[in-house]
Amino acid sequence: MLKKEPIKNRKLWITFGILFILSVPWYFPTGSYDPIILGVPYWAWIIILVSLAFSVTITYAIKNLWISDETLNEEEDQ
Amino acid sequence: MEENLAFGGWSGIFIMAVYGLLMLGIGLYTYMKNKNVRESNEEYYLGGKGLGVLVLFFTFYATQYSGNTIIGYAPQGYRIGFEWLQSVTFMILVIVGYLLFAPRLYTLSKKHKFVTPTDWLDKRFKSKGVTILGSILMLYGLGNYLLEQLVAVGQGVSGLTGNAVPYQIVVVFFIFIMLTYSWLGGMRSVAYTDTMQGIALLFGVFILILGSILYFGGLPTSADYMQAFSPEKLGVPDTGGIVGWFSMLALVTVGAAVYPHAIQRIFSAKNEKTLKNSLIGMSWMPFLTTGVVLLIGIIGINAFPDLDRMGSEQLVGMMANVVASQNLFFYWAMVLLFGGIIAAIISTADSVLLTFSSIISKDLYGKFINSKASEHKQIKVGKVTGVIAVFLLLIIAWYPPATLYEIFVLKFELLIQIAPAFILGLYFNKLHTPSVFVGMLAGTIVAATMTFTNFTPFGVISGLWGLAINLIIVVIGSMVFTVQKTQQDEAQKVIGF
Repeated sequence: MLKKEPIKNRKLWITFGILFILSVPWYFPTGSYDPIILGVPYWAWIIILVSLAFSVTITYAIKNLWISDETLNEEEDQ
Repeated sequence: MEENLAFGGWSGIFIMAVYGLLMLGIGLYTYMKNKNVRESNEEYYLGGKGLGVLVLFFTFYATQYSGNTIIGYAPQGYRIGFEWLQSVTFMILVIVGYLLFAPRLYTLSKKHKFVTPTDWLDKRFKSKGVTILGSILMLYGLGNYLLEQLVAVGQGVSGLTGNAVPYQIVVVFFIFIMLTYSWLGGMRSVAYTDTMQGIALLFGVFILILGSILYFGGLPTSADYMQAFSPEKLGVPDTGGIVGWFSMLALVTVGAAVYPHAIQRIFSAKNEKTLKNSLIGMSWMPFLTTGVVLLIGIIGINAFPDLDRMGSEQLVGMMANVVASQNLFFYWAMVLLFGGIIAAIISTADSVLLTFSSIISKDLYGKFINSKASEHKQIKVGKVTGVIAVFLLLIIAWYPPATLYEIFVLKFELLIQIAPAFILGLYFNKLHTPSVFVGMLAGTIVAATMTFTNFTPFGVISGLWGLAINLIIVVIGSMVFTVQKTQQDEAQKVIGF
């Protein structure tokens, strides 16, 4: 049985929602690209950062918000 | 990459033979280790539900990323520039999609011994309509997905063989190998070969980006070029681009996660820990795969300016040609890369085919045609239909029909229509089964019609419109019609939470 599942964690989905909205560059002026850092326009760096935040959040959710009897048994075994 | 690979010819054929024999060897090895594999559906289609973390990770990887991720995505990056960063985000979002249902579905799959995705629909809704329609949608989507792989493998192989031998012979060789190892070891063979194929692909991509930076100049050079000649590839996309970006993310989050062959991998996990660790690994892979492929496309903008759409499709082959001509190391690295691309296509095709066969043998044949058939017999039926399907699709791949080609394009649009039944069914015991059926059917018809007529209001993709209608019908239907208490209790018992 599941003790904790990611889908039931409201904060997680609010975070995903915010990241989803931020992961598309609608909030920058159309056509702008300066400054370019290491050949990558500034806005693309922001999108990459948001994507990294997505992966961090997923990793956190899988590790800490997905807990079942099986998880607990495994932890006991260790 | 169709005709003009400088390193095509005998070295290409040599590498393909090596890859082919390696896959065959892996198939033989898994067969020798698990000789009773063909006696039970769980053994054959799910590797006895015993895939460890590394193998599970790579089989997820090979399922989500295909050869097309390189040869198709780099040209897309070339054409639209940094806007194609969305390919990194949507690959991450697939894992968010898994979080919607994987934890619960995994637990239920252990409890009820699911083998195919349809097993879940059948257990939850106990409705012939939902089971059959769901199966057909999956088979149709998977069939077209397989067709796409067969077309891609033909193009890849013809590039690598040069004119040394007719490419059809090599394609048939690979299909023969693929069928043999799948038949020998089922999911275990598929997953183990996925591991080899995934490593080959990753290696190839890294050598190509290294070679591209060395010989074409890195990103700053490309950025200078774009600034002067194509600033739109560098700048923030306009409204149309933004809407397309959002709808792509939404479609992939739900659509790719419910790929039937991806779901079957959830069922195959040895335990919860292996599943979790594989998914965590997958959430980081977009940076190393689609991210790197995007950079290759961006470097291409400077290396081969002004290609039209058709020309840009050849981009990876053109870049590889230049890199390969530098020295012996890069020559062989590029041969390995293209072999890896072909291996990646095969590894996607084998996963698709295995799931295709499992739905035919267990869901359609075993449930509705011959319910008394032994599992051994079911597996046999699945194999034979699989072979017939592959050869029919191969004929379509080689002799594409002049008209009605659109019916072979639909896949995502249809597969996504099973999502409401699949995901909502896990959480709501008051879901009204007839509405689920009608929603699925209506969503399918809307999505298909809109695709055929090329009608995409507000730039939102047809599959999403279908999904919206599907969802509305399911939700409103479940609110208007009350589900009998006994059925609710029964659903509650199945879900168990």
